[in-house]
Amino acid sequence: MIVTEASRQLLEDCGVDSDRLSLEWASAAEAPRFVELITGYVSKIRDKGPLGSSDGEVSRDTIKRRLAAAVKAAGARKPRTLLGNLAKKLSKSGDYSKEAIANGVKAKVLPAMRSERISHELRILLSEAPLDMKSLCTQTGASAEELEKIMAPLVKKGLISQKKGKIALVAGE
Amino acid sequence: MAKENAVEKEKEMTQEGFDPKILGFFCHWCCYAAADSAGVSRYQYPPNVRVIRVMCTGRIDARFVVEAFRCGADGVFTGG
Amino acid sequence: MEGLEGKPGQFTAKVFQEPRYINEDLCTACGMCTMYCPRPVVDTYNERLEITRAPHIDYAQAIPSSYYIDAKACLRVNFETCNLCAQTCTAGAIDFSQKPKRLELEVGAVVLTPGFGRVDAAVLEKYGYGKYPDVVTAFEFERLTCASGPTEGHIVRPSDNKTPKKIAFLQCIGSRDETCGNGYCSSVCCMYAIKEASVAKEHEPDLDVSIFFMDVRTMGKGFDEARRRAQEKYGINVIRARVPRVDQVDGRLALTWTSDDGNHHSGIFDMVVLSVGLESPEDAQILSEIADIELNHYNFCSTRVDAPLSTSRDGVFVAGAFQGPKDIPESVTQASGVAAIASELLAEARNSKTVSITYPEENKALEEQEPRIGIFVCHCGVNIAGVVDVKAVRDYAASLPGVVLYEDPLYSCSQDALKSIAEKIKKNNLNRVVIAACSPRTHEPLFQETLRSVGLNPALVEMANIRDQCAWVHAQEPDAATEKAKDLVRMAAAKARLLTPLEQPTVDVTPGALVLGGGAAGMSAALSIAEQGYNVVLVEKSSQLGGNLRRLTWTLDGENAKAVLKELISRVDAHPGIEVITDSTVESISGYVGNFTSTIATGKKTRLVNHGVTVIATGAREYKPKSYGYGESPRIVTQLELEEKLARGKSFLKNARNIVMIQCVGSRGDDMSHCSRLCCTQAVKNALKLKELKPDCNIYIFYRDMRTYGFYEDAYREARRKGIVFLRYSPDKRPEVVKQSRGIKVRAFDRLLGEDIEIPANLVVLSAGIAPGDNQELSKILKAPLTSDGFFLEAHAKLRPVEIAVDGVYLCGLAHGPKSLEESVAQAKAAAAKATIPLAKGKVAVAPIVSRVDQDACIGCGICESLCPFNAIRLSKVGKRKKAQTITASCKGCGICASHCPTLAISMGGFTDEAIMAQIHAFSGQECSEG
Repeated sequence: MIVTEASRQLLEDCGVDSDRLSLEWASAAEAPRFVELITGYVSKIRDKGPLGSSDGEVSRDTIKRRLAAAVKAAGARKPRTLLGNLAKKLSKSGDYSKEAIANGVKAKVLPAMRSERISHELRILLSEAPLDMKSLCTQTGASAEELEKIMAPLVKKGLISQKKGKIALVAGE
Repeated sequence: MAKENAVEKEKEMTQEGFDPKILGFFCHWCCYAAADSAGVSRYQYPPNVRVIRVMCTGRIDARFVVEAFRCGADGVFTGG
Repeated sequence: MEGLEGKPGQFTAKVFQEPRYINEDLCTACGMCTMYCPRPVVDTYNERLEITRAPHIDYAQAIPSSYYIDAKACLRVNFETCNLCAQTCTAGAIDFSQKPKRLELEVGAVVLTPGFGRVDAAVLEKYGYGKYPDVVTAFEFERLTCASGPTEGHIVRPSDNKTPKKIAFLQCIGSRDETCGNGYCSSVCCMYAIKEASVAKEHEPDLDVSIFFMDVRTMGKGFDEARRRAQEKYGINVIRARVPRVDQVDGRLALTWTSDDGNHHSGIFDMVVLSVGLESPEDAQILSEIADIELNHYNFCSTRVDAPLSTSRDGVFVAGAFQGPKDIPESVTQASGVAAIASELLAEARNSKTVSITYPEENKALEEQEPRIGIFVCHCGVNIAGVVDVKAVRDYAASLPGVVLYEDPLYSCSQDALKSIAEKIKKNNLNRVVIAACSPRTHEPLFQETLRSVGLNPALVEMANIRDQCAWVHAQEPDAATEKAKDLVRMAAAKARLLTPLEQPTVDVTPGALVLGGGAAGMSAALSIAEQGYNVVLVEKSSQLGGNLRRLTWTLDGENAKAVLKELISRVDAHPGIEVITDSTVESISGYVGNFTSTIATGKKTRLVNHGVTVIATGAREYKPKSYGYGESPRIVTQLELEEKLARGKSFLKNARNIVMIQCVGSRGDDMSHCSRLCCTQAVKNALKLKELKPDCNIYIFYRDMRTYGFYEDAYREARRKGIVFLRYSPDKRPEVVKQSRGIKVRAFDRLLGEDIEIPANLVVLSAGIAPGDNQELSKILKAPLTSDGFFLEAHAKLRPVEIAVDGVYLCGLAHGPKSLEESVAQAKAAAAKATIPLAKGKVAVAPIVSRVDQDACIGCGICESLCPFNAIRLSKVGKRKKAQTITASCKGCGICASHCPTLAISMGGFTDEAIMAQIHAFSGQECSEG
């Protein structure tokens, strides 16, 4: 449930309508319930239309790029450690309420996932062409301040360079 | 690639009946068994879901969900 | 069998064996002999609807999967000419030197399972069979609807090979018919007619199908529901009438009948199907003499209600239709039950002649090579191929990377197909196999076994579920289903490429059973397991053993129920291997097959019991009526309450003139949707008892369908003969119980008179059905699914009727569904037979789907340890650092550890990250490359 919630928030962060991800329960004995759930879900997605066309979703291309970065973010050690620790904490407290999970993920896990996502997305974008700060912000959905913060260690490591307002990958990267 | 996607999307959007692509992650003991049992009872439901069987929904990693959407899923149904 | 001498444990059976003229060990079932044989013979397996040749095999899945020669037809055998088959057989399997053999077999027990015999042709002639070609038996019709039958499933009229438009099924042909000596009900024909009608409608949606019933007897578990669905979905006409004869008019078939409102009707049909009953085997008399056993008055094997699988001779047992007409689930159940009884008798000899299977050594070099995948897309007869374009899926599979072989077997799980798959794996050096067929939940072990038999690790097979989750559920959308099947095959192949060999760990089994419920079923199961040499803990929630049997005085066939109860209890009490714990319930059960640990609560005390297997026998209860004024008058009682009154004496009947019984109170949609199976016979039994005690009273029974199946039909006939009045009502016109100041009246619609009648009743007896017990709690504890009616759901109605989906847990008695005492006892024995399998083996294999920790990547954070629901992963010191390690026997493979590991150090056997990612990529088809 915690992983699903983290996935949900990560999807939202990428501009995906998180209702597209569904978590339901049907026991082995509940075939009629299963049929009801699956039928309802398919018609819900049918109404939403293709990915990128639902309310509040960004364009399909942007979504796909962000998702590519998000997959890397979801596999990164820092957000995973935070997620694991949150799961540990919740299992100790025994509080598996929706609110506790959603708030916990939002406070403890999402920020790290988001910056990992942006960090990876940045590199995907720059691998195609150098960009200025403004278009990077539009593309990633991050604020300039956020981006500066994320870029700082990358610049320090010499992975990206900042010249005349253009940000580029350092060759070889 | 981007252009192709746009064309493809255009095609989908203008299509009368949009047929969503949905990926399911079903728990072997619960939802997958319920789905088998629905078959045995010959219940009918829409053919849009492709299923990946896992031993438990606990197996589902955030990477799987995100990757599914990246790979063109319009929805991901996890069934425990 | 020509003779049987000796005693239980030491019989000598004389057996006569006819020659097959084909050596089973050499025959490869290639079919060349059939092809070249010049001698046509009628194909009896296909009900004489087709021609085969003297050398043949009855059907593709036949065991042994070897051909045989029909000695009566063969030219070589009779005239010493021809010999063509022997010359064409490349395997050299044909052997005309074979002679009839007389064998003397030393055996400890004998089980008689000769099946059923056919209704005499003379009986069928009355209905034009043999005279009019379009009158067929239901067995013939079954072959016509079968995809592997003579017409490949096309329904045609024998007279002109054209598709009929109107078909009539006539029920009770050779059953419930004293004129042919078969007074009993054959029990299975109502349901098989509905099944055949449904299959026919599926094939020919425009077909008009009528079934002529006397009563619709679909009393099996889930049958009423299936009948209702068939009626609704296919629009099958249900007509309640017995058609006396069939005539031919202008090349078509004319039927006339009288409905129960007294009106006459007639109709013209293209085809008439005779739903023929099940007779005792033709040689029943001879068999009874040879085996020295008694037959009943219908020439079926005679058995007692408390020992339904024992013949009159000790050590000789019976199962299946020879014991009485019955369907497949019951026959399979009895077969398991009889195995338990034989095992009880021969407990000491167990494992004295064991041969263990040896598998060829795993071909690791082959497994390590680049994937060479073989894909088998199964037709499953018409189950898959009727919807999905199997050949198109097979051809599509050919285009997938790594695929070197692609085929489409008719039934991939049949013995011959498995053999052929094994051969093909070897021949093509396959190291990965994809089976696109049914569910891996039911069939993966079978294909894993096939891989093992050719030296491949069983983990190298992957299944695509194109039946249960595709063809069956998208029957109306063949194109979409075919596309889905292709996608599923592509995803399975993608996973198959990344499968790796897995180790097969085994764990020891605790040699004891926990039986839940101390009724007739629970006690019978406990006794059988204990007799076979294993300890049993029997838990009963009430203060005494007996369950519902305590409330019975007479069994359905009039035997003394109290004596049966007493005998069972005293045997349980006396058995040193059985510990009875009363006033107790199960609080929790943890573990898995072979190693369960349960908490038994007795009052406030609890204790732990370790056991290898669990048997559910928690029973059910009499439904408490909510209508017909029940509870408002002492003169309105249930059948069980009546029986208790009768047991105390007849004084309460002193002034009884009219007694009314109402059937289906609670059952069949009144409150519960299922048929309670027993109430009809119970009502007849009690009505006869009432007549015996007070011959001058009038008894009226309002019913929907009298379901006195099998030999219980005798009692129904006797009841009618004794003047008990049976009146049918339909669910929209139920009888009403009207209380007046001076008594009770029952008002009901009389179909024959066409008006309401009123009967002043001194006693109203409600045939309250059987309601499930409080199964929810136990269902949760055991993770054992329930049916929509609230009874426990077996793993498979026909193949695994006494097992549930959870390994090591078995099911019997009323907890499974309504059934008679004798059926409960047989089922309890069956559950005991299944439960002793892991106990006798002593070891069970653990599924190799456990987690594995990459010690280099693990950082010892302990998240997995604290999240594992089974305590199956622990941190321990490895060198200087702490590392996580899996406890294989406890791990259930749920994968919570893997999905939460910060460093992706944990991988799941058979479900690795890479494999799942590959499936996701394959899901997307072409558009998605690896990110």
